[in-house]
Amino acid sequence: MAGLLIRHAREERRVKPFRTSGKSVRNTLGIITIALSMLAGMPVLSNAMTPTAAAAAVQDQDDWKKEFEDICSRTGDSLSLSSGELKVLVDRCDALKPRIEKLDGTQKKVYLNRLQKCRDLLAFVLESMAGK
Amino acid sequence: MKKILFLLMFVLICSGIVMAQTGLKKKRPLAADYGNVVLNNFSEKAGFSPVVFQHWVHRVRFTCRLCHVDIGFAMKAGATGIKANDNMSGYYCGTCHDGKRKFKGVDKMFAACSKKLTAEDGKRCERCHSLGKNVKREYDFAEVTAEFPKERLGNGIDWEEAEEKGFVKPIDFIEGVSIKRPALTIQKDFSLNAKVEGMPSIIFSHKKHTVWNGCEVCHPEIFIGVKKGSTKYSMVEIFDGKYCGVCHGKVAFPSLDCQRCHLDPVQG
Repeated sequence: MAGLLIRHAREERRVKPFRTSGKSVRNTLGIITIALSMLAGMPVLSNAMTPTAAAAAVQDQDDWKKEFEDICSRTGDSLSLSSGELKVLVDRCDALKPRIEKLDGTQKKVYLNRLQKCRDLLAFVLESMAGK
Repeated sequence: MKKILFLLMFVLICSGIVMAQTGLKKKRPLAADYGNVVLNNFSEKAGFSPVVFQHWVHRVRFTCRLCHVDIGFAMKAGATGIKANDNMSGYYCGTCHDGKRKFKGVDKMFAACSKKLTAEDGKRCERCHSLGKNVKREYDFAEVTAEFPKERLGNGIDWEEAEEKGFVKPIDFIEGVSIKRPALTIQKDFSLNAKVEGMPSIIFSHKKHTVWNGCEVCHPEIFIGVKKGSTKYSMVEIFDGKYCGVCHGKVAFPSLDCQRCHLDPVQG
């Protein structure tokens, strides 16, 4: 019985070689396609940004600027803030600095300088409160 | 030999007379030139005349804070390191001088720096790169400041009174550059005792300074002491360009104008 089955299978392979290989080619292509899609999603292997990655980069740029504006808009009324609030703002400045350091050229220089001024003033007000 | 000696003596005596009259002091600048800053980090290397930045024409329109905090100009000449590329990218001078920006009375600010230079660009370059050149300025100091309240020294203008009375309305916010913030909490005036006996004490007004500077221009870069009286200021240091002298004597009225600050009458 087993011998009969094996012989039938061999005959099937001989008679219908293309049908069998076509299926395997389709299967192979499908696996390759899925693999490539997964690899394209990995940023290490993709030099060109996919639309999703580009949008994420823009989002990140907007985020650091929003954070910068949120922190440094408080310098005007820094005298009315509590020491706890000032400490949080100073810490946020320190957390934001590495993100600005990743920028290029003049934008990095200008915003690092602005952030430093903002941080220094908040730290100054905090210190003056501690001294009272 | 005698003739040579006589000539030498004559020259020495004449020099002595001249120096006795003028001394070794720096020549006082003209009112229109007071506050001018020469910038030459890269200009001459690039084949241009050094830049002559006129403070007066800018402080008529803008606060000190806008330029020195929001735009990021350093408080010391040459310390910012401005390059043409920075201006063309919309930073520093290029923040306003972009060929597009409008302000009251100005339809379009001229663009600072270009990648390609045409014959017409040459004239535009000379508006800033003007040291040693006889450039006709767009704004005449005497005309612009004709009605402004006058003072003895510096620009000859009482900028504080000019702002108070509305002769100038300095802009403190630029869209896309400045951050919207709530109104500044103004601190009260306070007095600082003069070291010299008989000299009136200084009345320091935060309000008069924050109108132009906000908080960040002065604290903590110029005034680091957090507690009143913790830092001892001396006129020697101020004249040397420290503390008040960072601005007063360079752009703001000179510290020679004693009674502008030493206001508190001496108690008998």
